[in-house]
Amino acid sequence: MPVFHKLIHLSKQIASSLLKEKQAVKLEQSELFSDEDKTSIIRNLTEHSSIKERLDLINKIDTKADWNTIKNKIVLPTKKRNWTYPAAAVLVVALVSGYYIKTSLSKSSPVVSPAVISSTVEIGKNKAILTLEDGSNITLEKGDSFKTKTASSNGEQIVYNTKESKKSEVAYNYLTIPRGGHFFLKLSDGTKVWLNSESQLKYPITFKEGKDRKVELIYGEAYFDVTSSEDYQGASFSVSNSMQNIKVLGTEFNVKAYKDEANIFTTLVEGKVAVSLDGVTENLLPNQQSILDTITKTFRVDSVDVNNVISWKDGVFSFDGLTLKEIMKVLSRWYDIEVVFLNKATENEEFVGILSKNQKIEDILYTIKNFEIIKDYEIIDNTVILK
Amino acid sequence: MKNEAKHTLSLKQYKAIFNSLYTPLCLFSFKYIEDLDTSKDIVQDVFIKIWEDKIEFRNEKKIKSYLYTSVKNKSIDYLQTKQYKLKDRLSTQYMAKLESEAFFSREVVIIETSIIIERAINTLPNKCANIIRLSFNNLSNIEIAMELGISLNTVKTQKKIAYKKLKPLLKESLAITAFIFGIVSH
Repeated sequence: MPVFHKLIHLSKQIASSLLKEKQAVKLEQSELFSDEDKTSIIRNLTEHSSIKERLDLINKIDTKADWNTIKNKIVLPTKKRNWTYPAAAVLVVALVSGYYIKTSLSKSSPVVSPAVISSTVEIGKNKAILTLEDGSNITLEKGDSFKTKTASSNGEQIVYNTKESKKSEVAYNYLTIPRGGHFFLKLSDGTKVWLNSESQLKYPITFKEGKDRKVELIYGEAYFDVTSSEDYQGASFSVSNSMQNIKVLGTEFNVKAYKDEANIFTTLVEGKVAVSLDGVTENLLPNQQSILDTITKTFRVDSVDVNNVISWKDGVFSFDGLTLKEIMKVLSRWYDIEVVFLNKATENEEFVGILSKNQKIEDILYTIKNFEIIKDYEIIDNTVILK
Repeated sequence: MKNEAKHTLSLKQYKAIFNSLYTPLCLFSFKYIEDLDTSKDIVQDVFIKIWEDKIEFRNEKKIKSYLYTSVKNKSIDYLQTKQYKLKDRLSTQYMAKLESEAFFSREVVIIETSIIIERAINTLPNKCANIIRLSFNNLSNIEIAMELGISLNTVKTQKKIAYKKLKPLLKESLAITAFIFGIVSH
């Protein structure tokens, strides 16, 4: 590893130790610095006077204004282009480290708590409605276990038995995830499916031996980890919805097809998939995303950082340059809220960063308010008003 | 001669890099020249150059490495201009120290670490953030309580809140890439 990379890596380790109120052991062990330098680094990072001095400097740096200066000086390209070259995937990771500093140490003005009149907004949780082959509905929720001949659920996930069907007729179940929920499902072929809020999947209880495996994401977002065709007598796996079809040969990918969005996103993490509509087929490579415009019915393929796309299944929202409006749409599904923008101009502010899904909506709104993007917010029942 | 090659960075990516690295690079240049306005000019010139020259980068670390090195070189160059020497003359010994690899490495680590910490702390409510800042200074809980004029219990509760909030951000996998919810300003 080049020295510079070691320095960056070491910085992350030191930051992590200090934030946990631990000794910076990695620095003490490092061979990059003399003992004298090690002491000086720690002193510089922990002494109040140094921290204060740095914050004063930071407060005098106006990134927004200076960006405008730069923008006026550089020659802008005349045409917008698609960024599908391989380096893009690596680069985008870099951009997630984007940050914005708005320090509060020097300002001692008291923080006025926003008005929360009657907040009933809950953090999303494991929740799903299972529709059986006879049409009956069963609510799956934490604490409730459920068992049939073909499947069992502990309220947090549902797992189908691996026995293959010899019957000629295929029976289907539906799993519907309401707003404010998510759920994990294991199909009878061992394929794992993570379903996001406001999603519905139709799938056979068992797959027919040697026949192609077909499921349908009727709406919403799902992440698939498909068992290899080789382990399954060569039977391919496909995910369809009303618009497009995805043919898979053992792979991991994410599909997002919400009813209130004009695009369907298919993102490949590993393996190989072919996305098709009306005879047009796009083959995706890992780290590529196809975007189907459901109005013009055309595909576009971009390189993306898959971590931003699939992080939802691991309990975090990861945003890379999404607008506040797009972010609130994601949050509205998880918290089951309606969002009203009183100031339309704030809708297009862009954000980069990561949020834990396991925090209260108030905490997230508070953070946004701290950035002075919104002046205030109010929560009335399940409606969030951004001012 | 005008470089006819295509830009390897989109304007959006370029802007994101600027937003992410402008502040730390200004702080870094300041360590050499101790004049913030000139530091800003130097960093802006370096940024304009990577755009105009369409310099290609393979990954994030390469960009960072290039930017820190360029800012160091430009800062040293500035200290050697007549314009600077007219108002201030640095000793040969001090110049040698500034030009050394050891100085470069130390300042990179200080700035990179402090920026990560600031970004993390900035996600906390003000009260929490101030308590955490003081605890870096090795102040005990009692000392923090006295310094801020709050009760010892408040310090303890606020610390708990802070660590609970920082915990998901400090998970090994995430600690490396991103800490916070930041803004890409327009």
